[in-house]
Amino acid sequence: MRILIIEDDAETNRFIARGLTELGHQVVVSHDGRDGLFQAMEGGFDALVIDRMVPGLDGLSLVRALRAAGNAAPVLMLTAIGGIADRVEGLEGGADDYLVKPFAFSELAARVSALGRRQAATADPARLVAGDISIDLNRRTVSRAGQRVTLQPREFALLAELVRNAGRVMTRTMLLERVWDFDFDPKTNIVETHLSRLRSKLNAGFDTDAIETVRGAGYMIRGG
Amino acid sequence: MRLGVGTGWWRSSFGLVAIVGIVFALTTLAIGVIAYVATHEALEQQLDHRIATETAALIDEGDDGPEGVAVAIRRREAARSTASLDFLLVDPDGRTVAGSLGATVPALPGYVELLPYERNGEQRIAQSLTTLLPGGHRLLVAADRAPIDEMDRSLLKLFVGTFGLMLVLGIGAAWIVGTVTRRRLASIHGTAQAIIGGDLGQRVPVSGAGDEFDDVAVTLNRMLDRIGLLIDNLRQVSSDVAHDLRTPLTRLHNRLDEALATDDREGQRGAIAAASAQSRELLDIFAALLRIAEVEGIGSQAHFKPLDLSALVEGVDETYRPDMEASGHSLTADIAPDITLHGDRRLMQQLLTNLLDNALSHTPAGTTVHLSLTLSGGRTLLVVTDDGPGVADGEGARLFQRFARGERSRTSDGHGLGLALVAAIAAAHGGSARLMPGPGFKVAIEL
Repeated sequence: MRILIIEDDAETNRFIARGLTELGHQVVVSHDGRDGLFQAMEGGFDALVIDRMVPGLDGLSLVRALRAAGNAAPVLMLTAIGGIADRVEGLEGGADDYLVKPFAFSELAARVSALGRRQAATADPARLVAGDISIDLNRRTVSRAGQRVTLQPREFALLAELVRNAGRVMTRTMLLERVWDFDFDPKTNIVETHLSRLRSKLNAGFDTDAIETVRGAGYMIRGG
Repeated sequence: MRLGVGTGWWRSSFGLVAIVGIVFALTTLAIGVIAYVATHEALEQQLDHRIATETAALIDEGDDGPEGVAVAIRRREAARSTASLDFLLVDPDGRTVAGSLGATVPALPGYVELLPYERNGEQRIAQSLTTLLPGGHRLLVAADRAPIDEMDRSLLKLFVGTFGLMLVLGIGAAWIVGTVTRRRLASIHGTAQAIIGGDLGQRVPVSGAGDEFDDVAVTLNRMLDRIGLLIDNLRQVSSDVAHDLRTPLTRLHNRLDEALATDDREGQRGAIAAASAQSRELLDIFAALLRIAEVEGIGSQAHFKPLDLSALVEGVDETYRPDMEASGHSLTADIAPDITLHGDRRLMQQLLTNLLDNALSHTPAGTTVHLSLTLSGGRTLLVVTDDGPGVADGEGARLFQRFARGERSRTSDGHGLGLALVAAIAAAHGGSARLMPGPGFKVAIEL
């Protein structure tokens, strides 16, 4: 992916740029809001990583300006302030995802790749497919290799999120945000517990694990 | 507070009262002048009228000519019937025909306001009317002006006296009000100065008179008490934070020292991994502290929205059930349907998960955790209770403070920030969190 990073803190900028380059992404950096907006407008980026508080032009105004100009490049907003109303403001301002500092690099990497262009929608928008797993969103049914699997509502939502992002790693916090709408990390391992239940239901009668655990990063369902 | 001279001196209480006093005095003076002029004019007109009437009467009585008028004058003077009026009749050559008025008859007929004359060797002033009689005789009727002058003098004295009195009273009242106000304000001023100087224990003296200054003093003192309480609280929190962060920071430091001291590559890796975990924990503590501070600082509830609390509690109940069961606990719930709340969805979820996390980490397997949501008397009551060991007596309210940990949970992990956040979230929603008497651990959130 071609990624533009707009972040004034040199240390953070280098940290993100090096990590993303190592993952094989092509990275362009900018340390200033105005310069960043100029570069972003030139287009050709698959994802933008923008700090909320950059000099020149703050991140939120930058995203608004981009969107107003019709630029739809996906944006991951970084912030040092995890304000309660802040996140909502960021997302409403046009950012696609929001990450509060400090963060683990694996978290950022997962979110950036999740921002990448979504797969072309299947012919049937109510149907999600990944590998041998198929989900009917209307009937709320799941099948693996044609075999029905009965899930609890939360397990269904969890699986749907993984299938929707098939081929990409979903971190624990991403799942907490998207499946549970939690913007905090509970002490209890609710994600792990639900995943293990989901796994045992999906894998019953199969030799292969439907959900892959990516060490130190998160979970992923293969195929698309 | 400036009471000295300057462009705004009149705004001081002395200035204001003095201005009112001066305005009153000037009004009195204006009324005096008007009354003086009006009275003076009225008296003069009255005199003119008497003189004219008398002149007409004389001419009427002596209708056969100057002789008749002379007779009438003599008769009046003899009778002394008109003590205040004097007469003089002169022939065309100016010789006196009748009358005893010691004055020169004006050459032209008509009124003369100030006619000098002599009576008993004394120079006086009279008001007069000269009438030209047929045949060239001139009749002069005059009235002494003494009554008018006397009245004028009395009025003048009265009004000057009143004006002076008003002025003195006004300035005096201004001085008294100014002094009293200044003295009371000076005590408030002094207290404020002392507080600026660092003595936060100072309070504004209350005179006990129950006046408006006392009201202000009492309000100011209450404000100072509140500020004092907040500052104490802040000091306590800061010192708690410093104290409680020292332990993980020390551990981090030790791990790094350990990594430096060893040459063994595997040992170094282990120490660095432990140090990394320690720093992660520190970041978590900071995040939790910031979250509490943020929730406590929610000034406006602008982003609050109506939310289905029943569904929210059910969702969290469902989310926690697998973990509860996996750790040998059992979770029961009693959730009244359709209870709504105006609030922040994520904060309410965090409140609930903190309480359930607490129950999970501080109770042994086999404990039953019960979650209930009820509506009674217009208040929403959310209760999380367990039949575990509970807390020691007297630990109740303290547990909702930052870094407060129950004696029985000293050894388990956690930083004592979970319940502080619960209390902050409840308060942000206009509610309260309290610990209910056991057995077990029982927290009630009233919203």
